[in-house]
Amino acid sequence: MIEIKKISFAYGDNHIFEDFSAVVSNKCATLLGGPNGSGKSTLLQLIGGVRAPDSGSIVINGHAISNLKTKEQAQLRSISPQRRIFELAFTVKEIFAVVKPKQRASHSGEIFEALDLYELFEAKVTELSLGQQQRVSVALALIQRAEYYLLDEPLSAQDAIYTQKLLGLISILSKTTGILVISHSTGHIAQYFDENIYLS
Amino acid sequence: MKKLLLYLLFSTIGLVLFAFSLRTGIVQLHSSLWSLLTQHTGVDATTVWQIRLPRALGAVVIGGGLGIAGVMAQGIFRNPLAEPTLIGLSSGATLGTITVISSGAATYGSRTNAASAVLFAILAAVLVQLLAPNKGYGFLLTGIALSAILTAMAGLIISISSKPGIQSLAFWNFGSLSLLTNHTLQVIAPFIEVGVIISFFVARRLDAYSLGETSSHYLGINPKRLRLLAIIAMAFLVGASVSAVGSIAFLGLLVPHIVRLLVGPAHRRMLTFSAIIGATLLLLADLLARTIFQPHEIPLGLITSLIGAPLLILLLRTKQSQWVAND
Repeated sequence: MIEIKKISFAYGDNHIFEDFSAVVSNKCATLLGGPNGSGKSTLLQLIGGVRAPDSGSIVINGHAISNLKTKEQAQLRSISPQRRIFELAFTVKEIFAVVKPKQRASHSGEIFEALDLYELFEAKVTELSLGQQQRVSVALALIQRAEYYLLDEPLSAQDAIYTQKLLGLISILSKTTGILVISHSTGHIAQYFDENIYLS
Repeated sequence: MKKLLLYLLFSTIGLVLFAFSLRTGIVQLHSSLWSLLTQHTGVDATTVWQIRLPRALGAVVIGGGLGIAGVMAQGIFRNPLAEPTLIGLSSGATLGTITVISSGAATYGSRTNAASAVLFAILAAVLVQLLAPNKGYGFLLTGIALSAILTAMAGLIISISSKPGIQSLAFWNFGSLSLLTNHTLQVIAPFIEVGVIISFFVARRLDAYSLGETSSHYLGINPKRLRLLAIIAMAFLVGASVSAVGSIAFLGLLVPHIVRLLVGPAHRRMLTFSAIIGATLLLLADLLARTIFQPHEIPLGLITSLIGAPLLILLLRTKQSQWVAND
């Protein structure tokens, strides 16, 4: 369980969270919604440890993340950020190779299969379409072995077919792990999720 | 397969140039290189073993090291402009060398000299880290500014020093392999080895780091530690070479661009190839420096600039070499 305990966070005078608490459960798919600027991505960065709350704490499976090393955090949760920088001409296979074999989740093959990534393995990531790059980016998070998968806007550049495929994957993965998905348009996909957190 | 062929091709070119380096010079050899392998007395043997061999080996070790340092610099700053010279490492090492030599604390080519060059290089890079605003090109610009200060300080020390012969260091400032001896080579080789080992140790993390700082943190990489390790690796590589042969322009910038075009951006493969290409280019440059206007020797930095800069311009005009801008 990821426990967000009474956190406060502000960018200068812009208070995003004040005494905010929430829980992301294991073996469950949670949808995190809310309008632009409501702090969805900020919350993910706080859970991911790249920002620290001004007060309060975030605890994953009993471990306060402020006490964990970067590597230990990565063993508990895997995060797909809203944007990754693809400016060097790596092949897709080389991108996935940044996750060492011993850090790989056992379901990696199914991820590649479901998102039709095997056929892109030899392609240069810089030459892919935006939607393909996003699939590579999301898959990179999903093939890491972790107990929670947190995905920031994984569907924003996907067509109807891949939206379905990704939602299917999320349903399957949520049987064994905890999943949190950020989306600014939650209405039509809410049915695929067990829990909802709405930021306003 | 293509990569294996490239590997063999450039290794062969390097070996041929190496043999050329041993053969060519002011003293004409009367015996073949093969016959000198087992012979250690006589003019020919002394020329080859005491003068030309350290020079050729030095070109391999230093050229390879500078190539690797260039790959590390572009990798860790995620910037195609980055080069060890630009971020204060070379000028730090220069100042370190000038300081210990002019104060009489060490002689040229000694272990103290190499160690202080490495230490000053690390200090310069850390100072840049501390002073630079953590955004945009702040890091590179701060590096350029600090380099200017350190280079000026080194120049100042040279001009006011009463130590005889220190002015000759001004020549050395352009880079020259002519001072290399077997002893100097033995002194700097372990430093360069340390730099190479650390570089390979962090290679895979540099691949992940290229996807962005936040992204690499999510993948379990501590960006601060990675940057520190990369800086230490570069300081060992650049510091040791500067202490022995001065700063050699352009190699660190050019080699990564050639290598990325040949084998792609994955860092482990880039490091291997940049060592081979760096060694080959420096062998070639040194051979030219000491043969074009024989018996005069041209400062090496002039040759590397004259060959390197046009080559870089050509490379940048080819389509695939570009560091893709996302716009």
